[in-house]
Amino acid sequence: MFQNRVTAVLFMLILLLAACTPAVPPAPATVNTPSTNTAPVTGAGDAAVSGDLVIYSGRSEPLIQPVLDAFKVKYPDVVVLLKAGSNSELANALIEEQANPQADLFITTELFTVQSLGQSGIFQSYRPAGVDQIPSEFVGQDNTWVGLTRRARVIMYNTELVAPEDLPTSIFDLTDPKWQGKIAAAGSTNGSMQAQIAAMRQLLGEEETEAWLQGLLDNKVTFFGGHTDVRKAVGAGEFSLGLVNHYYYHLQQAEGSKVGIIYPDQGEDQIGLITNATAAAVVKGAPNEAAAQAFMDFLLSSDGQKLFAELNYEYPLLPGVALHEKVQPLDRFRLAEVDVVQAALETDATFDLIEKLGLP
Amino acid sequence: MKRSDALMPPAFLIRLNRVWLARRRSSTRSAFPISLAGLAGMVALFVAIPTVYIFLRAAGADADDWQRLLQARIWKLLGNTLLLVGAVTGGALVTGASMAWLTERSDLPGRKIFRWLFALPLAIPAYIGGIVHLALLRPRGGLLPQLLENLLGHPVATPSPLGFWGAAFILTLFTFPYVYLLSGAAFRSLHASLEEAARMLGYRPWQALLFVTLPALRPGLMAGALLVALDILAEYGTVALLRYETFSSAIFVQLSGRYDRSAAAVLSGVLVGLAVFILWAELRMQGQARFTQMESSWRPAPPAPLGKWRIPALLLALGVVFTSLLVPVGVLFAWSVQAFLNPETLQAVFHTGSQGFSSFAWNSLWTSSLAALAAMTLSLPVALFSVRHTSRLSRFIARFCQVGYAIPGVVIGLSLVLLVNRALPFLYATPFVVVIAYVLRHMPQAVRASESALSQLSVTLEEAARTSGRTALQAFGQVTLPLILPGLLAGGALVFLTSLKELPATLLLRPAGFDTLAVRVWVWASDGFYVQAAPAALVLVLASALPLSFLLRREQIFK
Repeated sequence: MFQNRVTAVLFMLILLLAACTPAVPPAPATVNTPSTNTAPVTGAGDAAVSGDLVIYSGRSEPLIQPVLDAFKVKYPDVVVLLKAGSNSELANALIEEQANPQADLFITTELFTVQSLGQSGIFQSYRPAGVDQIPSEFVGQDNTWVGLTRRARVIMYNTELVAPEDLPTSIFDLTDPKWQGKIAAAGSTNGSMQAQIAAMRQLLGEEETEAWLQGLLDNKVTFFGGHTDVRKAVGAGEFSLGLVNHYYYHLQQAEGSKVGIIYPDQGEDQIGLITNATAAAVVKGAPNEAAAQAFMDFLLSSDGQKLFAELNYEYPLLPGVALHEKVQPLDRFRLAEVDVVQAALETDATFDLIEKLGLP
Repeated sequence: MKRSDALMPPAFLIRLNRVWLARRRSSTRSAFPISLAGLAGMVALFVAIPTVYIFLRAAGADADDWQRLLQARIWKLLGNTLLLVGAVTGGALVTGASMAWLTERSDLPGRKIFRWLFALPLAIPAYIGGIVHLALLRPRGGLLPQLLENLLGHPVATPSPLGFWGAAFILTLFTFPYVYLLSGAAFRSLHASLEEAARMLGYRPWQALLFVTLPALRPGLMAGALLVALDILAEYGTVALLRYETFSSAIFVQLSGRYDRSAAAVLSGVLVGLAVFILWAELRMQGQARFTQMESSWRPAPPAPLGKWRIPALLLALGVVFTSLLVPVGVLFAWSVQAFLNPETLQAVFHTGSQGFSSFAWNSLWTSSLAALAAMTLSLPVALFSVRHTSRLSRFIARFCQVGYAIPGVVIGLSLVLLVNRALPFLYATPFVVVIAYVLRHMPQAVRASESALSQLSVTLEEAARTSGRTALQAFGQVTLPLILPGLLAGGALVFLTSLKELPATLLLRPAGFDTLAVRVWVWASDGFYVQAAPAALVLVLASALPLSFLLRREQIFK
């Protein structure tokens, strides 16, 4: 009997102890360390690169796969391990893993995430070969990240459902009741959509952005998890209009659907075409730094850039790489100007707005 | 022996209180092996830590986080979640119990085949069923509306599978087998004289059914309802797919939003609280009910003639089988054929990331098998301690091991991410964390199976072994273990089956480049590549059907 009690008490104690210990996690090492590494490393060279290369990608898997395949041809000794997800889901993982880094490389579909993680000291400086030719607004401070390709936020439409004279010319036309229930868009977990909201907050202010989002909700816009669903739904005639990145229009058109594209807000008094860029960064403490750097070099090489331009209709950031013949050059359009650094500082406010409105 | 077998509910869908009630209170309390208690205690600890941790994280979250969530999110999520749990539980109860009545108590043609057909949807994860139904029924773009439009020449409005009603419909389709199996066993074990007495005392048949039969079935129905309710609380894939927001999917959205995990921890804390409340409410409600049947004079009630209702009943049963089994499997099969005929898709199926089909099939197989083995092994000391050395402490430990039922996969995933990375960084981002999540989540099934196997084994056999000179350990190894092995394996098969289907924890915990069949199906389908996802989904369903049929064969009604 006595023994029985002792065991019970002991057990409870252990339980209590165990419950308490993990509650005091070691404080994450250091946040916001200004990079002391002022002389960044350049070019991994041709040294034999091998081992596992762990890539966290906010770009969806089918869109990054051809690049991985091409890289593997060049570096057959590297085993590429991919984890694809949403930008911020992976960003959360990177923050969590700061003291115990797992990933070597991070790829996102917009700049705000890399900018804000770069400020928190998640990435290491690296200047890939070719970075000098890239416009400076697409390179992070201290070379913590590098832009890869640009994409534009456009409206795609089903040509069988919308007459040319009815076409919207502005993203603000999407709140017009005549489109009620006829619009598809990506939901608030999608990086490109988050980035569009962040850009609009900067261009127009909180109130107008909120009114626009509320207008979309009132107009019964259908929000999908990703843009592939949106483009397929517009292509199939489920919806008249879709708010997407420009290449989804091209991908859908390549499948033979009757779709058209609108580059919105080109008028003098309008905000201009919202663009964003994909980016890549080497994780600080990357287990396989050499491979990560080789991959960065490859992404910014003309071979790598060509893959994005050819297969996915994106705008390569490296000058001299040809656009896909079907893609209209960006210099034909009036572009909205967004300050990446400022937008990254305001990501929390963007998420507050998303949550406040209950955007799906 | 035969008779009491028939009275047993399906051993693998274990009732909550059966083991507690059936346990021999007289079992020896004397020899209280401290090592066994220690082992059992350690298992309970292992099971409890992630839950305790997430609770502490939730409680320790910023007041601001709580404020923000309380203002905007929690109430709406609570409403949404409870509404879905209520609707699906109700739907599953009605469908499951009425199908059970048809196969067990009526003269429905083809009853024996229907028993299998009603149970097999358990092999189909609800989100895979959801993917198929969504592709078929999606308003305007779905295959069915398109077909109707082509046939009739004008668009026809079809019900949308999106939102609340769609989620409720699809989840009902794939959870009603729980209720079916439990109430089917209960219908069969019901004493014929019960209804006869009611009829003799002047009840009409429907009155007898309503006031006598159904109340007597209550324990079985409640157990089924509990399983369904907890399943729906934990469901992630289907609700995310059909865009109906509940706690589970909101936690994922939080993780894809701001760079702050405490909001997700707060929602997880509330979700676990909700699950524990349901578990507690069920225990209380069932604790008050007592039904006693005399085993000696048991005879089956004669099947009720359906008469003119034979054809409508048959059509109804066929309709249920059609939507919950034939359509999903048929469509997956058709898509798979399509995938194999298209060289591009075929290439994508067999070569993805740096891995191919065989690698994620193998990953599914070994993680689920390892989880099953680990859960079986860990459940042994707990079951031994609680069945052979019943005491307050041993019962407390055994109950604690049930906590996995109440912890949705997304919460286990989140908790392990945070915990393992801090406490065991070398384990972090290895497949073993995925296995640990499976064990934690599915431990209750193993513990109950082991307890039930042990409590059916007379302690006198072990005592005889001891008297003839064996040590306690030898007696266990040579007598007890071989005899309870089938029961243990049933528990293992159940853990294997549920681990194979697990999605949210795997999504959160998998290391880069490590995919399982479930993850592959999900990733492809959420990118809109249904045809590409089909072969993996089909293999997943077939692989689940094997352990399921092993489990069903153990049941009286499937012999």
